[in-house]
Amino acid sequence: MSERELHPLVKQLLDGEITLADLPAELRAEGEAALRLLAGVDRTPVSMPAVTWRVMTALERRRRRFVPWLLAPALAIAAALFIWLRVGTPAPAAGLVTVRFVLVAPDAKQVSLAGTFNQWDPQATPLVRTGATGLWTATLTLPAGQHQYAFVVDGARWVPDPGAPAVDDGFGRRNSVLTL
Amino acid sequence: MIALIALPLSLMSLQQGGSIAQRLTGRVSPEIASLVEELGTAASARGLPIDPLIQKAIEGSAKGVPAERVAAALRLVATQLDTAAAALRSGGVASDTIAITAGEFAITAGLSGNDITALARTGANAAALTVGLRVAGTLAALGVPPAEDIGLVSVALRSGEPASSLLLLPAHVQSEMARGVTPAQAAAGLARAAAAQARHGPPPGRGEGHPHPPAPPHP
Repeated sequence: MSERELHPLVKQLLDGEITLADLPAELRAEGEAALRLLAGVDRTPVSMPAVTWRVMTALERRRRRFVPWLLAPALAIAAALFIWLRVGTPAPAAGLVTVRFVLVAPDAKQVSLAGTFNQWDPQATPLVRTGATGLWTATLTLPAGQHQYAFVVDGARWVPDPGAPAVDDGFGRRNSVLTL
Repeated sequence: MIALIALPLSLMSLQQGGSIAQRLTGRVSPEIASLVEELGTAASARGLPIDPLIQKAIEGSAKGVPAERVAAALRLVATQLDTAAAALRSGGVASDTIAITAGEFAITAGLSGNDITALARTGANAAALTVGLRVAGTLAALGVPPAEDIGLVSVALRSGEPASSLLLLPAHVQSEMARGVTPAQAAAGLARAAAAQARHGPPPGRGEGHPHPPAPPHP
Protein backbone atom coordinates (compact mmCIF):
# COMPACT_ATOMS: atom_id res chain seq x y z
CA MET A 1 0.00 0.00 0.00
CA SER A 2 1.34 3.38 -0.94
CA GLU A 3 0.40 6.84 0.31
CA ARG A 4 -0.98 7.79 -3.13
CA GLU A 5 -3.56 5.03 -2.97
CA LEU A 6 -4.99 6.25 0.37
CA HIS A 7 -8.18 8.24 0.37
CA PRO A 8 -7.70 11.89 1.46
CA LEU A 9 -9.93 11.26 4.50
CA VAL A 10 -7.86 8.23 5.52
CA LYS A 11 -4.76 10.45 5.21
CA GLN A 12 -6.33 12.93 7.60
CA LEU A 13 -7.11 10.01 9.94
CA LEU A 14 -3.44 8.95 9.90
CA ASP A 15 -2.37 12.56 10.52
CA GLY A 16 -4.69 12.64 13.53
CA GLU A 17 -6.85 15.36 12.06
CA ILE A 18 -10.00 13.24 12.24
CA THR A 19 -11.03 10.09 14.10
CA LEU A 20 -12.22 6.74 12.76
CA ALA A 21 -15.80 7.75 13.67
CA ASP A 22 -15.53 10.75 11.31
CA LEU A 23 -14.94 8.51 8.32
CA PRO A 24 -17.88 7.51 6.12
CA ALA A 25 -18.95 3.89 6.55
CA GLU A 26 -17.43 2.76 3.20
CA LEU A 27 -13.99 4.09 4.28
CA ARG A 28 -14.00 2.66 7.84
CA ALA A 29 -12.35 -0.67 6.81
CA GLU A 30 -9.62 1.16 4.87
CA GLY A 31 -9.07 3.55 7.81
CA GLU A 32 -8.77 0.66 10.33
CA ALA A 33 -6.24 -1.14 8.08
CA ALA A 34 -4.17 2.06 7.77
CA LEU A 35 -4.15 2.53 11.57
CA ARG A 36 -3.00 -1.12 12.07
CA LEU A 37 -0.10 -0.52 9.68
CA LEU A 38 0.86 2.66 11.53
CA ALA A 39 0.85 0.84 14.89
CA GLY A 40 3.44 -1.68 13.56
CA VAL A 41 5.98 1.03 12.80
CA ASP A 42 8.96 1.24 15.28
CA ARG A 43 8.66 4.65 16.88
CA THR A 44 11.90 4.50 18.90
CA PRO A 45 13.66 7.83 18.56
CA VAL A 46 16.74 7.46 16.33
CA SER A 47 19.68 9.85 16.32
CA MET A 48 22.63 9.99 13.91
CA PRO A 49 25.28 9.07 16.52
CA ALA A 50 23.21 6.03 17.41
CA VAL A 51 23.18 4.98 13.77
CA THR A 52 26.96 5.36 13.57
CA TRP A 53 27.34 3.29 16.73
CA ARG A 54 25.09 0.53 15.37
CA VAL A 55 27.02 0.39 12.11
CA MET A 56 30.38 0.30 13.90
CA THR A 57 29.13 -2.40 16.30
CA ALA A 58 28.05 -4.51 13.38
CA LEU A 59 31.42 -4.05 11.69
CA GLU A 60 33.23 -4.83 14.97
CA ARG A 61 31.26 -8.07 15.34
CA ARG A 62 32.27 -9.03 11.82
CA ARG A 63 35.93 -8.11 12.53
CA ARG A 64 35.91 -10.20 15.73
CA ARG A 65 34.64 -13.15 13.77
CA PHE A 66 37.63 -12.80 11.42
CA VAL A 67 40.34 -12.23 14.08
CA PRO A 68 40.86 -15.94 14.96
CA TRP A 69 41.12 -16.78 11.27
CA LEU A 70 43.70 -14.05 10.75
CA LEU A 71 45.58 -14.79 13.99
CA ALA A 72 46.20 -18.48 13.31
CA PRO A 73 48.21 -18.04 10.10
CA ALA A 74 50.04 -15.07 11.63
CA LEU A 75 51.10 -17.19 14.59
CA ALA A 76 52.11 -20.03 12.28
CA ILE A 77 54.28 -17.67 10.21
CA ALA A 78 55.85 -16.20 13.36
CA ALA A 79 56.62 -19.70 14.71
CA ALA A 80 58.17 -20.78 11.41
CA LEU A 81 60.28 -17.61 11.32
CA PHE A 82 61.43 -18.19 14.92
CA ILE A 83 62.44 -21.80 14.21
CA TRP A 84 64.20 -20.81 11.00
CA LEU A 85 66.16 -18.08 12.78
CA ARG A 86 67.05 -20.43 15.67
CA VAL A 87 68.33 -23.12 13.30
CA GLY A 88 70.15 -20.64 11.12
CA THR A 89 71.89 -18.89 14.00
CA PRO A 90 75.06 -20.58 15.27
CA ALA A 91 74.96 -21.68 18.94
CA PRO A 92 76.64 -19.30 21.38
CA ALA A 93 80.23 -20.16 22.12
CA ALA A 94 79.57 -21.51 25.59
CA GLY A 95 82.34 -23.21 27.58
CA LEU A 96 85.23 -21.73 25.64
CA VAL A 97 88.31 -20.44 27.43
CA THR A 98 91.09 -18.29 26.01
CA VAL A 99 94.54 -19.49 27.05
CA ARG A 100 97.95 -17.97 26.40
CA PHE A 101 100.82 -20.43 26.01
CA VAL A 102 104.36 -19.17 26.64
CA LEU A 103 107.75 -20.83 26.22
CA VAL A 104 111.19 -19.30 26.68
CA ALA A 105 113.43 -20.79 23.99
CA PRO A 106 116.09 -18.26 22.91
CA ASP A 107 117.89 -20.68 20.60
CA ALA A 108 114.81 -22.06 18.86
CA LYS A 109 114.16 -21.31 15.20
CA GLN A 110 110.52 -22.35 15.40
CA VAL A 111 108.17 -23.48 18.16
CA SER A 112 104.71 -24.97 17.84
CA LEU A 113 102.06 -26.47 20.06
CA ALA A 114 100.68 -30.01 19.66
CA GLY A 115 98.04 -31.60 21.81
CA THR A 116 94.68 -33.23 22.16
CA PHE A 117 93.04 -30.01 20.90
CA ASN A 118 94.73 -30.14 17.48
CA GLN A 119 95.09 -33.89 16.95
CA TRP A 120 98.76 -33.67 18.02
CA ASP A 121 99.64 -31.96 14.75
CA PRO A 122 103.02 -30.20 15.17
CA GLN A 123 102.30 -27.91 12.21
CA ALA A 124 98.83 -26.80 13.29
CA THR A 125 99.62 -24.21 15.96
CA PRO A 126 102.88 -22.27 15.59
CA LEU A 127 104.01 -19.91 18.36
CA VAL A 128 105.19 -16.39 17.57
CA ARG A 129 108.54 -15.07 18.75
CA THR A 130 108.13 -11.91 20.81
CA GLY A 131 111.07 -9.48 20.70
CA ALA A 132 114.66 -10.58 21.10
CA THR A 133 114.23 -12.28 24.48
CA GLY A 134 113.44 -15.70 23.09
CA LEU A 135 109.87 -15.61 24.32
CA TRP A 136 107.44 -17.63 22.17
CA THR A 137 103.70 -17.19 22.62
CA ALA A 138 100.38 -18.40 21.22
CA THR A 139 96.85 -17.56 22.33
CA LEU A 140 94.16 -20.18 21.76
CA THR A 141 90.47 -20.47 22.54
CA LEU A 142 89.84 -23.98 23.82
CA PRO A 143 86.73 -25.83 24.97
CA ALA A 144 86.33 -26.36 28.71
CA GLY A 145 87.63 -29.75 29.76
CA GLN A 146 91.00 -31.43 30.00
CA HIS A 147 93.77 -31.07 27.44
CA GLN A 148 97.25 -32.59 27.16
CA TYR A 149 99.92 -30.92 25.09
CA ALA A 150 103.61 -30.30 24.50
CA PHE A 151 105.72 -27.71 22.71
CA VAL A 152 107.54 -28.88 19.58
CA VAL A 153 110.83 -27.06 19.20
CA ASP A 154 112.38 -26.87 15.72
CA GLY A 155 109.98 -29.53 14.48
CA ALA A 156 111.69 -32.36 16.35
CA ARG A 157 112.02 -31.82 20.10
CA TRP A 158 108.89 -32.41 22.22
CA VAL A 159 109.13 -30.25 25.34
CA PRO A 160 106.60 -30.18 28.21
CA ASP A 161 105.41 -26.78 29.46
CA PRO A 162 107.68 -25.92 32.42
CA GLY A 163 104.88 -23.90 34.04
CA ALA A 164 102.18 -26.59 33.96
CA PRO A 165 101.60 -29.95 35.67
CA ALA A 166 102.64 -32.96 33.61
CA VAL A 167 101.88 -36.67 33.34
CA ASP A 168 103.60 -39.67 31.78
CA ASP A 169 102.66 -39.90 28.09
CA GLY A 170 103.14 -43.68 28.00
CA PHE A 171 106.05 -43.34 25.59
CA GLY A 172 108.74 -42.33 28.07
CA ARG A 173 108.08 -38.59 27.84
CA ARG A 174 105.82 -36.11 29.67
CA ASN A 175 102.67 -34.34 28.52
CA SER A 176 101.61 -31.06 30.06
CA VAL A 177 98.09 -30.91 31.45
CA LEU A 178 95.61 -28.09 31.15
CA THR A 179 92.30 -28.36 33.02
CA LEU A 180 89.72 -25.73 32.06
CA MET B 1 65.18 -62.58 21.55
CA ILE B 2 68.98 -62.86 21.67
CA ALA B 3 69.09 -62.19 17.94
CA LEU B 4 67.01 -59.04 18.44
CA ILE B 5 69.51 -57.75 21.00
CA ALA B 6 72.60 -58.95 19.15
CA LEU B 7 71.66 -57.33 15.83
CA PRO B 8 71.65 -53.71 17.07
CA LEU B 9 74.85 -54.36 19.05
CA SER B 10 76.53 -55.77 15.94
CA LEU B 11 75.38 -52.79 13.90
CA MET B 12 76.66 -50.42 16.60
CA SER B 13 80.02 -52.21 16.61
CA LEU B 14 80.26 -51.94 12.83
CA GLN B 15 79.37 -48.25 13.02
CA GLN B 16 81.94 -47.73 15.81
CA GLY B 17 84.61 -49.53 13.79
CA GLY B 18 83.88 -47.37 10.77
CA SER B 19 84.10 -44.22 12.88
CA ILE B 20 87.47 -45.27 14.36
CA ALA B 21 88.87 -46.09 10.93
CA GLN B 22 87.73 -42.72 9.58
CA ARG B 23 89.38 -40.81 12.40
CA LEU B 24 92.67 -42.68 12.05
CA THR B 25 92.97 -42.67 8.25
CA GLY B 26 96.28 -41.14 7.22
CA ARG B 27 97.31 -40.50 10.82
CA VAL B 28 98.59 -43.88 12.05
CA SER B 29 100.02 -47.03 10.53
CA PRO B 30 97.56 -49.73 9.38
CA GLU B 31 98.62 -52.10 12.18
CA ILE B 32 97.97 -49.46 14.86
CA ALA B 33 94.66 -48.53 13.22
CA SER B 34 93.68 -52.19 13.31
CA LEU B 35 94.62 -52.52 16.99
CA VAL B 36 92.68 -49.37 17.92
CA GLU B 37 89.66 -50.69 16.05
CA GLU B 38 89.88 -54.00 17.90
CA LEU B 39 90.35 -52.40 21.35
CA GLY B 40 87.84 -49.65 20.60
CA THR B 41 85.09 -52.01 19.47
CA ALA B 42 85.55 -54.14 22.59
CA ALA B 43 85.64 -51.06 24.82
CA SER B 44 82.54 -49.61 23.20
CA ALA B 45 80.65 -52.87 23.74
CA ARG B 46 81.45 -52.53 27.47
CA GLY B 47 80.19 -48.93 27.54
CA LEU B 48 83.67 -47.42 27.65
CA PRO B 49 84.80 -44.34 25.70
CA ILE B 50 86.98 -44.84 22.62
CA ASP B 51 88.35 -41.30 22.32
CA PRO B 52 91.32 -41.85 24.70
CA LEU B 53 92.44 -44.80 22.53
CA ILE B 54 92.20 -42.79 19.32
CA GLN B 55 94.03 -39.83 20.87
CA LYS B 56 96.84 -42.04 22.20
CA ALA B 57 97.33 -43.68 18.80
CA ILE B 58 97.48 -40.30 17.02
CA GLU B 59 99.84 -38.92 19.68
CA GLY B 60 102.21 -41.88 19.35
CA SER B 61 102.29 -41.55 15.59
CA ALA B 62 102.84 -37.76 15.74
CA LYS B 63 105.74 -38.25 18.15
CA GLY B 64 107.31 -40.91 15.92
CA VAL B 65 107.04 -43.61 18.55
CA PRO B 66 107.70 -47.20 17.35
CA ALA B 67 104.53 -49.22 16.70
CA GLU B 68 105.14 -51.81 19.43
CA ARG B 69 105.46 -49.06 22.02
CA VAL B 70 102.27 -47.39 20.82
CA ALA B 71 100.52 -50.76 21.02
CA ALA B 72 101.65 -51.21 24.63
CA ALA B 73 100.45 -47.71 25.51
CA LEU B 74 97.07 -48.42 23.87
CA ARG B 75 96.62 -51.63 25.88
CA LEU B 76 97.47 -49.71 29.06
CA VAL B 77 94.84 -47.05 28.23
CA ALA B 78 92.23 -49.79 27.65
CA THR B 79 93.06 -51.34 31.03
CA GLN B 80 92.88 -47.96 32.76
CA LEU B 81 89.47 -47.27 31.20
CA ASP B 82 88.22 -50.58 32.61
CA THR B 83 89.67 -49.75 36.04
CA ALA B 84 88.09 -46.29 36.04
CA ALA B 85 84.68 -47.64 35.02
CA ALA B 86 84.79 -50.34 37.70
CA ALA B 87 85.85 -47.80 40.33
CA LEU B 88 82.98 -45.49 39.43
CA ARG B 89 80.51 -48.38 39.57
CA SER B 90 81.85 -49.29 43.04
CA GLY B 91 81.14 -45.72 44.05
CA GLY B 92 77.56 -46.03 42.88
CA VAL B 93 77.96 -43.98 39.70
CA ALA B 94 76.32 -45.25 36.52
CA SER B 95 78.33 -45.54 33.29
CA ASP B 96 79.22 -42.12 31.96
CA THR B 97 81.89 -42.05 29.26
CA ILE B 98 82.99 -38.52 30.14
CA ALA B 99 83.46 -39.41 33.81
CA ILE B 100 85.27 -42.62 32.81
CA THR B 101 87.65 -40.61 30.60
CA ALA B 102 88.30 -38.24 33.53
CA GLY B 103 88.90 -41.27 35.77
CA GLU B 104 91.34 -42.75 33.25
CA PHE B 105 93.27 -39.49 33.27
CA ALA B 106 93.35 -39.52 37.09
CA ILE B 107 94.84 -43.03 36.98
CA THR B 108 97.44 -41.89 34.42
CA ALA B 109 98.33 -39.08 36.81
CA GLY B 110 98.95 -41.53 39.64
CA LEU B 111 95.67 -42.09 41.45
CA SER B 112 94.14 -45.53 42.04
CA GLY B 113 90.75 -47.11 41.49
CA ASN B 114 90.07 -46.74 45.22
CA ASP B 115 90.75 -43.00 45.00
CA ILE B 116 88.21 -42.71 42.19
CA THR B 117 85.67 -44.70 44.17
CA ALA B 118 86.20 -42.38 47.15
CA LEU B 119 85.39 -39.34 44.97
CA ALA B 120 82.38 -41.10 43.46
CA ARG B 121 81.04 -41.73 46.99
CA THR B 122 80.92 -38.02 47.78
CA GLY B 123 77.48 -38.02 46.17
CA ALA B 124 78.41 -35.28 43.70
CA ASN B 125 76.41 -35.17 40.49
CA ALA B 126 77.98 -36.53 37.29
CA ALA B 127 79.15 -33.14 36.00
CA ALA B 128 80.73 -32.11 39.31
CA LEU B 129 82.33 -35.54 39.73
CA THR B 130 83.88 -35.31 36.26
CA VAL B 131 85.42 -31.94 37.12
CA GLY B 132 86.52 -33.36 40.49
CA LEU B 133 88.28 -36.29 38.79
CA ARG B 134 90.07 -33.97 36.37
CA VAL B 135 91.15 -31.67 39.19
CA ALA B 136 92.29 -34.63 41.33
CA GLY B 137 94.37 -35.89 38.39
CA THR B 138 95.87 -32.43 37.88
CA LEU B 139 96.74 -32.16 41.59
CA ALA B 140 98.42 -35.59 41.39
CA ALA B 141 100.37 -34.33 38.37
CA LEU B 142 101.54 -31.41 40.53
CA GLY B 143 102.89 -33.88 43.06
CA VAL B 144 100.11 -33.83 45.66
CA PRO B 145 100.05 -37.28 47.36
CA PRO B 146 96.78 -39.27 46.87
CA ALA B 147 95.59 -38.94 50.51
CA GLU B 148 95.81 -35.12 50.54
CA ASP B 149 94.59 -34.93 46.94
CA ILE B 150 91.43 -36.95 47.54
CA GLY B 151 90.91 -35.24 50.91
CA LEU B 152 90.91 -31.79 49.32
CA VAL B 153 88.74 -32.66 46.32
CA SER B 154 86.27 -34.64 48.47
CA VAL B 155 85.76 -31.69 50.83
CA ALA B 156 85.20 -29.38 47.86
CA LEU B 157 82.71 -31.79 46.23
CA ARG B 158 80.80 -32.42 49.47
CA SER B 159 80.49 -28.71 50.19
CA GLY B 160 78.91 -28.27 46.76
CA GLU B 161 81.51 -25.83 45.46
CA PRO B 162 80.85 -24.77 41.86
CA ALA B 163 83.01 -26.15 39.05
CA SER B 164 84.74 -22.78 38.69
CA SER B 165 86.02 -23.03 42.30
CA LEU B 166 87.10 -26.64 41.87
CA LEU B 167 89.06 -25.74 38.75
CA LEU B 168 91.03 -23.12 40.72
CA LEU B 169 92.39 -25.65 43.22
CA PRO B 170 95.50 -26.63 41.18
CA ALA B 171 96.38 -22.94 40.73
CA HIS B 172 96.02 -22.37 44.49
CA VAL B 173 98.27 -25.35 45.22
CA GLN B 174 100.81 -24.04 42.69
CA SER B 175 100.77 -20.60 44.28
CA GLU B 176 101.34 -22.13 47.74
CA MET B 177 104.18 -24.22 46.31
CA ALA B 178 105.73 -21.06 44.88
CA ARG B 179 105.92 -19.81 48.49
CA GLY B 180 107.98 -22.85 49.47
CA VAL B 181 105.22 -25.12 50.80
CA THR B 182 105.21 -28.80 49.75
CA PRO B 183 102.34 -30.00 47.54
CA ALA B 184 101.02 -32.18 50.41
CA GLN B 185 101.07 -29.26 52.88
CA ALA B 186 99.43 -26.93 50.36
CA ALA B 187 96.60 -29.39 49.65
CA ALA B 188 96.10 -30.20 53.35
CA GLY B 189 95.95 -26.49 54.23
CA LEU B 190 93.39 -25.80 51.53
CA ALA B 191 91.31 -28.81 52.63
CA ARG B 192 91.27 -27.55 56.25
CA ALA B 193 90.20 -24.08 55.11
CA ALA B 194 87.46 -25.51 52.88
CA ALA B 195 86.19 -27.78 55.67
CA ALA B 196 86.11 -24.88 58.15
CA GLN B 197 84.24 -22.76 55.66
CA ALA B 198 81.74 -25.56 55.06
CA ARG B 199 81.12 -25.75 58.84
CA HIS B 200 80.96 -22.04 59.66
CA GLY B 201 80.08 -20.37 56.36
CA PRO B 202 82.12 -17.75 54.53
CA PRO B 203 84.17 -15.21 56.51
CA PRO B 204 82.61 -11.72 56.90
CA GLY B 205 82.82 -9.56 53.81
CA ARG B 206 83.39 -12.53 51.50
CA GLY B 207 80.23 -12.77 49.44
CA GLU B 208 81.54 -15.55 47.24
CA GLY B 209 82.72 -17.42 50.32
CA HIS B 210 85.88 -18.82 48.73
CA PRO B 211 88.79 -19.29 51.12
CA HIS B 212 91.45 -19.25 48.42
CA PRO B 213 93.51 -16.41 46.97
CA PRO B 214 92.99 -15.44 43.33
CA ALA B 215 94.50 -17.81 40.79
CA PRO B 216 97.78 -16.90 39.13
CA PRO B 217 97.65 -16.43 35.34
CA HIS B 218 98.40 -19.43 33.18
CA PRO B 219 100.99 -20.68 32.75
